[in-house]
This record gives sequence, structure tokens and C-alpha cells, in this order.
Amino acid sequence: MKFDRVGETGPGTRMKNAGHNRPRLVLDSVEKRFARPDGEIVTALSDVSMSVEAHTFVALIGPSGCGKTTVLRIANGLIQPDNGAVTIAGSAPKPGPETGFVFQEFRLIPWATVQANVEFALEVLPLSRAERAERARSYLDLVGLSRSAQSYPGQLSGGMKQRVALARALASEPEILLMDEPFANLDAQTRELMQSELLHIWMRHKPTVLFVTHSVDEALLLADRIVLMGTGRVLETFDVDIERPRNLEATRSDARFIAMRDDLWARIRDLVLSDPQSEFYGRNLGG
Amino acid sequence: MPRVTPRQRKNTAMADNRLPSAAPGALTVAAARTGFLALLVLLWWVASVNVARNIIPSPLATLEAAGRLLHAGDLQQAVLDSISVYLSGYGVAILVAIPLGVVMGAFNLLGKTLEIYVYALSATPRVAFIPLIIVLLGLGAEAKVFIVFLGAVMPILINTYAGVRQADPELVEMARSVGAGRLRIFTRIVLPGAVPYVIVGLRLGATIGLINTVVAELYTAVRGLGGLLAVYGNTFRMAEYFVVVLSLATIGVIVTEGLRYAEQRLGRWRT
Repeated sequence: MKFDRVGETGPGTRMKNAGHNRPRLVLDSVEKRFARPDGEIVTALSDVSMSVEAHTFVALIGPSGCGKTTVLRIANGLIQPDNGAVTIAGSAPKPGPETGFVFQEFRLIPWATVQANVEFALEVLPLSRAERAERARSYLDLVGLSRSAQSYPGQLSGGMKQRVALARALASEPEILLMDEPFANLDAQTRELMQSELLHIWMRHKPTVLFVTHSVDEALLLADRIVLMGTGRVLETFDVDIERPRNLEATRSDARFIAMRDDLWARIRDLVLSDPQSEFYGRNLGG
Repeated sequence: MPRVTPRQRKNTAMADNRLPSAAPGALTVAAARTGFLALLVLLWWVASVNVARNIIPSPLATLEAAGRLLHAGDLQQAVLDSISVYLSGYGVAILVAIPLGVVMGAFNLLGKTLEIYVYALSATPRVAFIPLIIVLLGLGAEAKVFIVFLGAVMPILINTYAGVRQADPELVEMARSVGAGRLRIFTRIVLPGAVPYVIVGLRLGATIGLINTVVAELYTAVRGLGGLLAVYGNTFRMAEYFVVVLSLATIGVIVTEGLRYAEQRLGRWRT
């Protein structure tokens, strides 16, 4: 395992030696504050710098409320940072086909068919009606749902709904895929199958992914690099030196996997126990 | 033991989610409803025999009265009058309420400004306006149509407004994330999401509109089914009176069932 100290590999240095593997997403000293309904200002991100290179799978982990989802929303362009710079493939992010967002709650349009749900994300692209339909069909085929194209989301299981959402995000052929705890709403068995599915799709298409998760195991299984966040800051970055193709059984019993998992878990536990905001603050839960 | 196919098992599981007992088939429901109708007619007949016959007419006497009214053409004329008042008032209410509700929902300040007045007006018994309406519009068709309009417009407006306001924020954010502009979000996410609310408003408006049709016909120039109601009620021609009441009930059922059918057609995605 390789440890990158915070700030040592800033995005600025990476930009300079940008060769064929130029970063797709760069956050440079990003700061974001929100006003709560009662008027109090909350700092969601205080100083976040990170980058995601092309065809790299980066997982963002950390305790609840540390700002992981805010990073995704800034990367998509849904919200603007108060300070610092963000770029997707060199330019400021704006919501649209350059990014593909997969939400935890699927967020499918319930009155539209599966096919129409995928096509919805393609409407801003300069495609003809037929091209759009064809594109949607091919990505539904990729996630194994070509036979459910005319179904409505209400007729699908949770795993199938998330496949549709994944097809919708992939179909615009985005620079980067932003995934916000996409498997958190699925039962344990479906979650593992979807992780395998994602590993499989990643091997075929090698998309650039920024993946937010609570699960250390999921991060280690899927990612090339893990970014550990705590209360609005990037704390540490870990490279996951486990070769691909990976699979659930072999990778999870790999000695490196187990060592990294124990180490990461210990760090997250320490983070939570030392956070005065946390409900577990000061509890003696040492393992 | 009968084999359970996967399809059947799925249906049973779905029914179990909704009700503790299995959902009956359509034919069973139709048979049960017909049986209940027979029971009602029987009770009606028993009541007509035991209460004085000139207060509650027997089913047969009512049927004969219906025949007489149809033969003379009175009933058809009254139904035609009432329905034209009803549909005009209800139609105008739809044409005003849905666009206004959509615009109020789309523009926050406009909605917030107007909603308090809309709620106040809808809480006022609309019958209170009838003397004013008669003074302004007279006793003719305009006054009647306006009374129906006034009753039907509020539930449609309030429900349309609520439906547009209660758009799913998660779906709206999803649409934003794929680059949809404000107009596309409004037409593709917000408006379709409001349809179930609009239909509830249409159903409530249809019911209130029918009530107001009769009220209008009783209070203004005595015409239509409401007019017949007044004439036969005041002259104790109870068999004819019953025919009118049943005609009104039939119109109510046809309208609300029609809207229910429309709701089902529009909501096919709800499984």
C-alpha cells in the first residue's frame, strides 16, 4: 500500500505533467458552505483537492456528512464551489452529458418506460431520434436489460432499477461517471451481484469513475484509488494495488485486501470516535 | 393439489401486499353489486308498502312515471338543459383552473400571492354568492353556468397548484444533472407528476359542479332536472320526483366513472 500525504500530490503538479493520462476531474482547494434553514452557515467542504485520471476508478469514502456527496454535485456542476477551481476535461463542469450521475435512490421517471428513461439523458446531445433510441438500446443491452426496455420502473426490482440508472448515466458516454452510493439501497445479495456487474462493465469500457461509498469493502473491491475524507477535507489517499480483473471471491480473500481493509477501518473508526459532532464521540470501541 | 405457476404466485403476493384477503375477480364483484342492487330495490319496495304510498312510490310506479316522462319528452329536455349547464360551467372551470394552477405553481411569487385568496374563496360557501350572481347575471343560463363554474373551479385549481408545487425534488435534480433546462424539466417532470393531483381535482370539481347545477336550477329560473325536482317535490308527485333523483344519480355515476377510467388510462405506469 502506498500512502500519499495530503497536499503532496496536488492537482497542480499533475496538470503540468499531463500526458496521455491527463486528469478528467480536478478539484483544486475547493470550498463550499451552505446556509441552513435557521440561518447558520455550515462548511461542507473546507479545502478539497483531488483529481481523477482518465480510465481510473476512484472511491471516495468517509463518515456520514463529511461532504462526499457535495464533491459529486460540484463535479457535475449542480452546485458551484464558493472558492477554488473545478474542471472536467479541462473546462468548468456544467450539468449535462459530460458527466453521468448515478443516484442512490435510482431516480427513474416513473411514468416513462425504461427505454424513455435512458433516452431522457440523451436529449441534449445532437442525435437523431433513431440514433438516440439505438444508443439507449445498446446501453440497456450492456446492463442486461434489453428485454425490459418497454417496462415501467415500477415493474422492476431494485437491482434492475439501478441497472437502468447505470445505463442512463453511461449512455451519454460521459467524461466521468459520478456514482453516489449507488448500491446502498439494495439488499446484500443484489449489491454483491451489482458490484460484480460493475467490475465487468468497467473491464469492458474502462470508464472514469468517482464512486462515493460508505463501504470499505466495496471501495477496495472496485477502486484503483481510495480517497478518505473527514469533515470537509481529504485526509489521505490510498492506491489499491490489486490487479484486475478482480472478482468478489478471489479479491476479498486476497491478503492485501484484508490488510488494507483492517487499516482503513481503523482509520475511519478513529475519525468517527474523535469527531465531537459524531454520536460515537469518545466511545471506547477500540478493536 | 393445484400447481401454482410463477405468475399466479406473483399475483397472490401483490394482492397480499395491499389487503389481507385475496382480491375478488371482476365477475364476482359485478355479481355482488347486482345482488346488492336487487336488495336495494327490495328494501325500496318494502319501504313503499309500509310507508304511505304517496310519500315513497313503489319501484314499479317509479318505472311507470319514467315511461310517462320519457314519452312526453320532459325528462329528455330537462336532462339536456341540465347537462348543457353542467358541462359549460365545468368546462369553463377546467379551462380556467388548470392553466391558472399551472402558472401559479410555476411562478413562486404569483402562487404565494394568490393562494391565500384562493383558499379563502374556496372556504366561503359558494351559495352565498347566488343572490349577487342573480343581480348581476339575471336568472338565465349565464347565471347557472357561472354558479356551476364557481363550484367546480376551486378544487381543480387548488389540486393543480398543489400537484405542480409538489414535484419530486429528486427527479428534478436528476433532470438538471443530465442538462435539462427549466422548460424541459417543467414539461417532462413537473407537469406529468402533477397529473394525478389534477385528476383528483377534476373528480371533486365534477361532483361539486353537479351539485351546483341542481342548486342553480332551484334558485334561478326553474329549469332542467333541478327545475323538475322543485316542481314535482312541491306538488307531491313523488314517482316523478324519484325519476329525477335517479337521473341525477346516473349522471353523477357516469361522470365520475368516466374520470376514473381516464385516471387509470393515464396511470398505467402505476403497477
